[in-house]
Parts: sequence; C-alpha cells; structure tokens
Amino acid sequence: MICREGIDVTLLNVQGITKAFGGLVAVHDFSLSMDPGQIVALIGPNGAGKTTAFNVISGFYRANSGTVSFNDQNITHLRPDQICKLGLTRTFQVVRPFRGISVLDNVMIGAYSRTNDARVARSKALETLEFLGMLPEAGRLASGLPIAGRKRLEIARALATEPQLLLLDETMAGLRPAETDEVIGMVRKIRERGTGILLVEHVMRVVMSLAERIIVLHHGEKLAEGTPDAIVQNPQVIDAYLGEAHVEG
Amino acid sequence: MSEKSDTILLKKSSRSWLRYLFANWERTQLVISFALIALVGLISAFTKSPYVLGILVLATLYAFVGITWNIVAGFAGQLLIAHVIFLGIGAYTTIVLNNRFGITPWLGIPAAGVVAGLLGLVVAFITLRYGLKADYFALFTIALLVTLKTIFLKWKFVGSALGLWLQLGNASWKNMIFSTKEPYLYIAMGLLALGVIVQYLIYRSKTGKYMLAIREDESAAAALGVNTSLYKTLAVVIGAVMAGIAGGFYVMYVAFVEPPQVFDLGFNVEIVMASPIIGGLGSLAGPLLGAFLNKPLAELIRGMLSAETSGTSLIIYGSFLVLAILFLPRGIAGALQDLYNKIFPHSADDLPGGD
Repeated sequence: MICREGIDVTLLNVQGITKAFGGLVAVHDFSLSMDPGQIVALIGPNGAGKTTAFNVISGFYRANSGTVSFNDQNITHLRPDQICKLGLTRTFQVVRPFRGISVLDNVMIGAYSRTNDARVARSKALETLEFLGMLPEAGRLASGLPIAGRKRLEIARALATEPQLLLLDETMAGLRPAETDEVIGMVRKIRERGTGILLVEHVMRVVMSLAERIIVLHHGEKLAEGTPDAIVQNPQVIDAYLGEAHVEG
Repeated sequence: MSEKSDTILLKKSSRSWLRYLFANWERTQLVISFALIALVGLISAFTKSPYVLGILVLATLYAFVGITWNIVAGFAGQLLIAHVIFLGIGAYTTIVLNNRFGITPWLGIPAAGVVAGLLGLVVAFITLRYGLKADYFALFTIALLVTLKTIFLKWKFVGSALGLWLQLGNASWKNMIFSTKEPYLYIAMGLLALGVIVQYLIYRSKTGKYMLAIREDESAAAALGVNTSLYKTLAVVIGAVMAGIAGGFYVMYVAFVEPPQVFDLGFNVEIVMASPIIGGLGSLAGPLLGAFLNKPLAELIRGMLSAETSGTSLIIYGSFLVLAILFLPRGIAGALQDLYNKIFPHSADDLPGGD
C-alpha cells in the first residue's frame, strides 16, 4: 500500500459485475471505484442488491461476469480469507460474533491474520480495543454483549486485520441515536488512520454525515452517483428511495 | 519482627504461587487435569487389584481419546460422529505390523498415528471437495464407519470376521507386553499427560483460536482471514493421528481386535463421545472429568447388574448423556467454570492468553 503512495492508485475498482440467483438478477452491470482513504456510501431500497454487491466484492459470492480489483490486483476469483489478507475485509449486516469466546479472543482472531505470534496478536487486539474504547469489555464473553456492543465488536475484529478498505454492512441498523453517534465517531477515527470505508446504510443521517460520495442502487443497477448534496437533490433518487426513507423516519 | 515479616513474605509468595496456577480458567483446567492424572497414580500406588487397575487403564485411555475428539468436535465444531474409525484403523495397523511383520509396537503405534492421519486427510478432502457440512459431514463419517466395518469383515489379511489376536512375545518393555497392569497404566498416563499438553498448546495457539472461530461462525472466520478449509483439515488430521495412536495402545492392552468391536457406534459413544460431552465439550478438562466419572461408575453398575445382561454399560452411557445434556449442557467443566468465576472475579490482568 505504502509503496504506491502519491501515485494515482485506485483502491477498489469494480467493473461491470453481475450476479444472478437463478432467474433473479440481484446486481446488474455494477461498477464502482474508490480512492485510498475515502468514505463511500452505497444506498438504496431493500432488495436493491447492496449486500449482494458486498458479497461479490469480499469474495463470498462469485460474480457471473465483471471484475473486482483491489490495489490494481484482480481479486475476482479469490476466497474471502485471501482477500482479507490483501487488506480488504467486511462486517456483516446481521452481526456474527464468535459467541462462546471472549471479546479479546474475538479480536485476536482478526489480529492473527497478520501474525502467528500469540503475544503480537494479543497486544494488537488490546490496542484495537483501546482505540475503540472497548477495553473494559475485553474479558467478557461475546454472547454477553448488548447489540451495540456486538456491532462495535464486529468493527473491532475487522479493524484488527489492518484493512486498507473496510466494508461496513448496515452497522447502524437497530442502534439508538446516541449509540449511532458513537459508531459514527468510531468510523471517523478509523478513516483518520487512512482506512478507506465503503458502507451500506439505511440511516440517512449517518450517510450524510460520513460519506464523501454516495452511490444509489435500485433494482440491482446504479441509479445515481455523486456528492451527498447532489444525491439528495436528484429527483430520480428522491422518487426511488429517499421519499421512502423519509417516511421510515 | 523479622519473623513476622518472614511470614508475611511467605504468605505473599504462596499467594502469588496460587495466583499463578489459577490465574485464568485455562490454566486452572490444566491444574485440574494434572491433579486427576496424579490421583490415578496415587490410587495405583495403593492397590494391587487388577480389576481396579484395569478400570484405571481404560478410564485414562478414554480420557485421552476424549481429548482427540474434543479437538475436532469441541474446538473446531466439526461433527465427526464416527471418530472411532481412526481408533479402529490405528488398532489394526499396530496389530498387523506386530503379527505379520514382527514390528515392535513402539514403532507400530506411531505408524498407527500416521495411517489414521492419512485416513483423516481423505475424510477432510472428500467432505470439503463435496461441501459436506454439519449433519451431512456427520452422516458421511457414519457411512465410512459402516464401509470400513464391511471391508475389514471380508479382508482375510487382517483376519476378516474372526479378528486378530495379538501374537504375544515375551513380557517386556521392548514388546510392550506385561504380566501386570501397572506398566500399561503408566503408559496410558504418559499418553494422557501428553494429550493434555498438546490440547492446551493448540487451544492457546493461533491454530486453536482459528478452530474456535470456525466452530462459532465459518463466514465471519473467513472474512477475518481464516482459511477455513485448511484449519478444518488440520483439526480432523490432528484428531485422527491422536486417535490412531490411542487405537494402537488399545490393541496392545486388550490384545484382540475384530471389526464389530472397533467399527461400532455403541463403542464410539462409549470411548469417544461420552467423556467430552459429560465433562464439557470444548473445555480443556472436560474429557478427563467425564472419563474418570463415567468409566468407574459404569463398571460399578455393570458389576452390580448380572453378568449375563450384555450391553448394560451402553444403557448407562446413554442415560448419563441424556442427563448431562439436560442438566449440564456445558458439562462438568462448565459448572466448575461458573464456580471458578465466583471464587475469582475477573480482573483485567487475568484475561485468558496472558502470561
């Protein structure tokens, strides 16, 4: 990552990916490109294909066509663990903590992607927990965390893999406003470290306060792309999504 | 005054010593495990009864076999139900090498580990290649057990349906044949001590943590950089190698093997599954706690019931399992862990994994 600093590098370059399940085309000819350290938001109504796009980018689904490259390396056919090792990782919409083990162990598992040494992984995990203000919870079982804690754990674990690009899938869903603000602060801190963030989000307040660029998906296709200000004024977007979002609250 | 400060020092040092041993639940389980092994040694020092010693040999071996399954099913969460196939293959390897080729069990038992490990590799490869997970994985291993049983029933070279009797040389350490039970017990205790250490080291290592991650959530593990196929294979192969070694020792001890004995689901429940499930699957001390409770109790009850009713021990194991699953879902170790957490409330420096 550092070796290419200063030159025009595309962190993530998605070219015309299509993913179909049987006859249902979830994502059609979708493209997206991101520079290092950017925050980009992917929004759209339920079923628009946001999570499917995430799954293709992070290696969980294989695209029917199109390519995904990360730091100019083609990762279209790599497994999620290989993609993670290259510096791209994701969180899940429905949180998936390793319930039966401690918060510290959860984060250590992320840290182990960069080391084989238990001491190094442990100190990296503790450092990550401290960075996110979760140190007091380190010894707790992950299953004992409340929902907000689990969401934060999901981010901490992913962060411990030292990603250059973090995919956050609806991290704020189900959180109270105060908790949401806390996570927004977390995301900002992560971005300050130079980590690029691609987020899927329904909470428009979050999207507007974080994203530098917004991409709107609708029926699996890109409807619009632009700055937050441009997007909220785009009549097509208001028609397809934002009107609906305002009704939701 | 100096006397007083000495006592304080002594108290302090003895306290830090205790603090070290019981610093976290993992290390405490290591202490429990070695205490149980020491207890076996102590009992053996006070009795000459072949009956009691025989129970101790088997209980110790069951604890070791329980550890081998605990790594696969307890750590990595792989439902390798018919784990006893590795023990059976190991038993056959050792006895065939001894009977047909005159190879000492000191080489035959490691060879059993290698052969069982290769079978484990085949199991892992096929199940990963065809995406057999959870219950399908379990069914595949049961199908393999039935297949192996049929093959060994027909295969003349390994004694077919008659099985094989161990060709006995002179009683000696070189031949691993003894006229008393004590040496068998010492070997079993050594094996178990080794198993306890290996299990602890795996649990504490990256490999162990990755196995736990796979057990808890495979997708999340993959997203965090865990090569799930690799670590599942590793879990199965480690468990298989250790079970093969256990099988090699088992056949040296009972001096006989036949297909319906080792390739059998009832035997599998008794020797593989009962101890870790009752003791606490996924815990470190569970396999030992379970084995040293089950085996003596089952023998006691078998002794009380009439000898002509065969299979009573299976009823006992079955009942234990049902009771344990109903009332102690995390096993004896789980209950002890709750107790431990009450006695030593958590503090930040006692986090697992610290030194």
